[in-house]
Amino acid sequence: MANRIHLRLAATLLFLALGCSAFAQFTVKGVVLDEAHDPLIGVNILVKNSTNGTVTDLDGKFELTLPNPYVTLVFTYVGYSPQEVAVQGKENMEVTLSEGSQLLNEVVVIGYGTQRKSDLTGSVSSIKSEELQKVATSSVTQALQGKIAGVQVTASSGRPGDGAVVRVRGVGTFNGAAPIYVVDGVILDNMDFLNPNDIESVEVLKDASAAAIYGTRGANGVILVTTKKGQKRASTQFSLNSYVGMQQVAKTIELANATEYATLANEAAMNIGTPKPFADPEALGEGTDWQKVVFRDAAIRNYNLSANGGNEKMLFNLSADIFQQQGVVRSSYFNRYTFRANNEYSLTQHIKIGHNVVYQFTDNNNEPGGILFTSYTADPTVPARDTAGNFGNTSNRSNVSNPAAQLEYNDYNRGYAQQFIGNVYGNVYILKNLTFRSTFNFSVGNSRGKSFTPEFYVNDKQFNPESILGVTLNRARDWQWENTLNYEKSWENHRFTVLGGVTSQQRYFENFGGSRRRLVGDAEEFYFLNAGDSETQTNFNGAAEEKYYSYLFRLNYVFKDRYLLTASMRRDGSSKFGSERRFGNFSSVALAWRIIEEPFLKSQNVFSNLKMRLSWGILGNDKIPYTAAIPTVTSNLNAVFGVAENLLFGATPTRLANPRLQWEETSTIDVGLDIGVLKNKLTLEIDYYLRKTDQIILPVPIPDYVGSEGDPYVNAADIENKGLELTLNWRERLGKFSYNLGLIGSINDNKVLSLGSDNNEALIGGSVSGGAFATRSEIGQPIGAFFGYKVAGIYQNEADLVNFPTRGGEKPGDLRFVDTNDDGIISTDDRVYLGSPIPNLVYGFNGGFEVAGIDFSIDFAGVKGNKIYNEKKMARFFGVTNFETSFLDRWNGEGTSDAEPRVTNGGYPNYAVSERFLEDGSFLRLRSLTLGYTLPNSLVEKVKITNFRLYVSATNLITWSDFSGYSPEVTSENAIDNGIDRGVYPISRVFTVGINANF
Amino acid sequence: MKTIPFIDKKNVNAMKKRALLQLIAFGFLLVPIGCNKDWLEVKPQGELTSANFFQTEDHAIWATNAVYSLLRDWNVHAFNYLGMTDMVSDDADKGSLVNDAIFLADLDNFTLDAGHQSPAGIWQGYYQAIYRANVAIENIPLVPEMNETLRSRLQGECKFLRAYYYFNMVRWFGDLPLVIRPLKPSEFYTQTRATQQEVYAQIIQDLKDAIASLPEKSQYAPADLGRATKGAARGMLSKVYLTIQDFPNAELYALEVINSGQYGLYPSYAKIFQSEGEHSSESVFEVSCVALDIGGGGSQYNQVQGVRGTPNLGWGFNLPSDNLMTAYETGDPRRAATVLEVGEVLPDGSAIVEDNPEMLNERYNQKAWVPNHVGFQENSPGNIRLLRYADVLLIAAEALNENGKPQDALVYLNQIRARAKGSSANPNLLPPVTVTDKDQLRQRIWRERRVELAMEQHRWFDLVRQGRAADALQAAGKLNFVRGKHELFPVPQAEIDLSGGLLTQNPGY
Repeated sequence: MANRIHLRLAATLLFLALGCSAFAQFTVKGVVLDEAHDPLIGVNILVKNSTNGTVTDLDGKFELTLPNPYVTLVFTYVGYSPQEVAVQGKENMEVTLSEGSQLLNEVVVIGYGTQRKSDLTGSVSSIKSEELQKVATSSVTQALQGKIAGVQVTASSGRPGDGAVVRVRGVGTFNGAAPIYVVDGVILDNMDFLNPNDIESVEVLKDASAAAIYGTRGANGVILVTTKKGQKRASTQFSLNSYVGMQQVAKTIELANATEYATLANEAAMNIGTPKPFADPEALGEGTDWQKVVFRDAAIRNYNLSANGGNEKMLFNLSADIFQQQGVVRSSYFNRYTFRANNEYSLTQHIKIGHNVVYQFTDNNNEPGGILFTSYTADPTVPARDTAGNFGNTSNRSNVSNPAAQLEYNDYNRGYAQQFIGNVYGNVYILKNLTFRSTFNFSVGNSRGKSFTPEFYVNDKQFNPESILGVTLNRARDWQWENTLNYEKSWENHRFTVLGGVTSQQRYFENFGGSRRRLVGDAEEFYFLNAGDSETQTNFNGAAEEKYYSYLFRLNYVFKDRYLLTASMRRDGSSKFGSERRFGNFSSVALAWRIIEEPFLKSQNVFSNLKMRLSWGILGNDKIPYTAAIPTVTSNLNAVFGVAENLLFGATPTRLANPRLQWEETSTIDVGLDIGVLKNKLTLEIDYYLRKTDQIILPVPIPDYVGSEGDPYVNAADIENKGLELTLNWRERLGKFSYNLGLIGSINDNKVLSLGSDNNEALIGGSVSGGAFATRSEIGQPIGAFFGYKVAGIYQNEADLVNFPTRGGEKPGDLRFVDTNDDGIISTDDRVYLGSPIPNLVYGFNGGFEVAGIDFSIDFAGVKGNKIYNEKKMARFFGVTNFETSFLDRWNGEGTSDAEPRVTNGGYPNYAVSERFLEDGSFLRLRSLTLGYTLPNSLVEKVKITNFRLYVSATNLITWSDFSGYSPEVTSENAIDNGIDRGVYPISRVFTVGINANF
Repeated sequence: MKTIPFIDKKNVNAMKKRALLQLIAFGFLLVPIGCNKDWLEVKPQGELTSANFFQTEDHAIWATNAVYSLLRDWNVHAFNYLGMTDMVSDDADKGSLVNDAIFLADLDNFTLDAGHQSPAGIWQGYYQAIYRANVAIENIPLVPEMNETLRSRLQGECKFLRAYYYFNMVRWFGDLPLVIRPLKPSEFYTQTRATQQEVYAQIIQDLKDAIASLPEKSQYAPADLGRATKGAARGMLSKVYLTIQDFPNAELYALEVINSGQYGLYPSYAKIFQSEGEHSSESVFEVSCVALDIGGGGSQYNQVQGVRGTPNLGWGFNLPSDNLMTAYETGDPRRAATVLEVGEVLPDGSAIVEDNPEMLNERYNQKAWVPNHVGFQENSPGNIRLLRYADVLLIAAEALNENGKPQDALVYLNQIRARAKGSSANPNLLPPVTVTDKDQLRQRIWRERRVELAMEQHRWFDLVRQGRAADALQAAGKLNFVRGKHELFPVPQAEIDLSGGLLTQNPGY
């Protein structure tokens, strides 16, 4: 076999050599224009099936030497339809490229394949790399904010390296409601390892038809990422993209200064009946601003160098990327180094193999634990350090640590990680229309964590009696092997694509860690367990494994380019479920009608696209706790016995398991309309969806007398999400001026339909200070809705305490709650729904223009209708901690306030869960603002640069919001613990300057 | 050298196709080869499952140890436990800062309702412990091969512990769901409250089984010190009988402990509660705790009651009340041994207790005080003394008096007083009691119980069983106490809700 391939290669080479000598060289000149007859600069021109090519100059002109006068030239230009022109011996050519039509022939990535956008039957949103690069962040998911209708992106925090909570079409489950990420075919739980420069496009599969091919894992949406691939080019294109910038906390929290704190503390003491702690508050002045102690202006940088090119035999895209970010909270940082190789090799006419692989390592340091809460609560009358240089004692009246001392002693929290993610694939073109593809996907990684705290003593509440070192090592390994056959056939009015495949997957995770105290030294060279006292050692090691085995099938059928049908099915087996419920089938069907192709619309020229889509399908979600289906025995339930007080091993089953668990099922109906007007200058996509999740796995509360430590998991609850999504774009070119405007918006209505059993009234969540709970998921209400007392006002005097309902024990100046059930007393029965952490409107809009080398873009993102619970304000359990300035509006005598109660430090009613701590979470943010200038080619081509752009940019420049915290983005992966601000790492405002250069 | 055979194009294509098809078949088939039936069968990594547990003697021991382990649990013997024993009684105030754990003030002041977290926490913790006992009691008999003496002993230990857990529960809540084996899913929501009599009958049965199968304290190997003993089961049973006012049986089992020769009063009252007094001659049952460098062997019992701030870094809850201070006879050394005052030198002499201006009525429970130790404060090493020989003597005295044997009662009562007096030569200090009138002697025994066992979490249960909780607590200024209501705690509202009303609430809540 090998001999034969060699022979064929030799023959081919010989033939090519003969071909070269047979024809004389030939030169063609020409110009490339747009439809308005303006020259197009930088159009890529290639001789078909070769690497011979050039680009057009400033006047749109080109000159190219050809091996013979009968070749075909391929013209490609971003935003325009590619065009092939046969030279046919002509020495001068004028080529007109048209825009717009490309939108219809644009190819989008779908699961296990690609499809012409015009052939889509499902709801798929696509965004390009440029959109993701407008925002200076390490996190691709954060960069998606406000870009895609139906996708809500909320930054987890502003900590360098942190990602975002992503919800596609609402919150569909009490369990993991995050979408899955499929990067070049590799199914992953996260995509924040990606370097935005490497991304070609991101597609979000929103409805059942689009996502059904991912079966048991597609229920919460699928985000497909395609990284940049090599392109055939005359010469390798090198790109350098880089920016440097500065980040700052956009908004600090308004906290009491020393005088205000002392005044309020005195008043609180008076109200409680303890002695006044401060003799003369006025003398204390401003005191310490602990937020200033903790925050800093921080640097951010990114350098990316890539090489892209290819020929008949090989395509390549190689890139190296450095990302370095300091955190706005002192001592925190995140650095990332990424190397990518996306290559494809044509072995024979029938076989291509390739790989898309990325190797990456990161190192980071986290801020001292809890420092955002201590800087919020610390006593402002105490200096960071006293005149003798000792740390001030912030724990006099509370348990709050001195944040400056935390930065000194608790600042070593390192993480190191490396990952190798990607795939190796082979395509075999068996027949003209039949392709076999085998892909081996993998994701292997290991991470290491190290934290060290020296022995120190600040005061009797802030101290560490012995130095301590903790070390963790995690190892993750995931492989997927996918084999698919794809068959395409078209004749007359029919086009068919059929896909079938078999996949298997294994995921394995292992952790290992240990700690020791009393290290031999405090310097970094001693941060190894061996340097600690073995008497103090602890360790742990555990693992988890999952396996999948699936069959998949999809049929696309197009009749007369008008009537489209997609049907797909996946049969999934998963080790996560008990043997009785191991396999499940997930299927979908979708229809679309391209009305624009109907004869009766041929004569009009208003509409350039008109399509209706309808889809239905069932998808699964298997993100449940690992051992929910398996009754495990809990170890280390140890007891002490013996004269020597030995700790003896104990173990027993403590938790009930449910071997009959199965996946959650989400059925989605989607109706969509795509409209293009005036040659697609205006495009509009509207989708309505109804998404119902059944069999949601949740711990169904059982009485405590059963004795289980943790409630057993049962397929029980139902949740409904319905909504409307709209994407509107306007693009126009007026001579050399082009501009675009865009708007996305989605409204979502979330409702719990059932919690599975009659005994299950509501799911309680959102643990807040004082052992209370702030959320309650009840049938008919949104998931994780806030639940508590409504505030009617303040009891102004003793008469009010008689005239209005009370619970008993209230005093004048206390909050007066609404007696919602009118029974004349205030009791827990008066608590009602106070709002939802889920916005009912998520939107974004953007605009931009280009003229004479100048480009400008502006993006806004916002949400509306959600509430945030300011838990940190109610957390006064730790003593007399600092106050938000809102406390200054307190009641301190009849008529002084009807909203802010007298100062107390806890207890009913002022610190019960009530509207007092609920704030509007709506916001509108100027997400990004970019101004760039591309230098004229005449300037840069002398130094062999084809394109050179300079830009300045701002991220999160302005946020319009009434929320009192750092940022109105307060989120959680846990649906019943969402929107509760316990002191989140602030999201910063970033200013950057950068360059993009191609050469 | 091989000759190259004649190749025609058709033949090549056929061969090529065959090779490709082979490749594809390989790709498709290899996956299913891996996919035999076991492919999706993934075992939990590093964890036993119910399927392979209770197979060996070790498993039986581990399951029993797991029942003991909850004796050091937060819900069983820490915050809520202290709240629902000492703080509710007239012995102690909530303590700590006014606003710290304000829910405990609801216990102290009887402003709690059915949604209060303390009864809920207790209910949860104790039933989890009962579940572990039930699992062990049901499965240890099924272990295929093990030493039969050990099998019997382990079951006895678990029954003792189940009886202890139920005994506290029935005293707190009255009628209870009586769960004595792991419930099936169909039974989760169907339980009703068994009457107190039924619960006590089960407790008595378990303790009698435990007496039959457990060795005496001296018969255990030194390495097993701290396990339940025959004496512990007898002593606990005498207390159960005293509580249900079966005085003949209370006398019987208390005397069995006294006459077993296993126990004696420890000479120094104060030192019982220090580290040298752990598992002393006086210890009938106590929970062993140890502060290990690696943690895992301590409890939070000492931490929550430790001196707040300098120098002990405890939380400063459960402070001896003014009312308790007046209960002692003049000069009774037990007062100083029970109370740690501001300005007093710590029992280990390491420092003095500094004044904390934020705290009201600052004085601490010295019996729960432990010196500084390795690990962190939640790693408290102090053993939790659940049943002292002195308690058994006072049970005997009380039962004997009720049974018309005052002279015998006085013997045991005066043993207690004599030990408390110690070596003092002062004839007026704690003189022997001589009164033989039944009612008067009962009052003397009750008063002796209070001061002897103060701050050891017995007072509340004593007041209730003696039927004078309302009088005593109202007299101590707890005016919210409602007679006929507050003697019992509310069944957690969540439990009633989950039962769909099958569980009833205690009167008044």
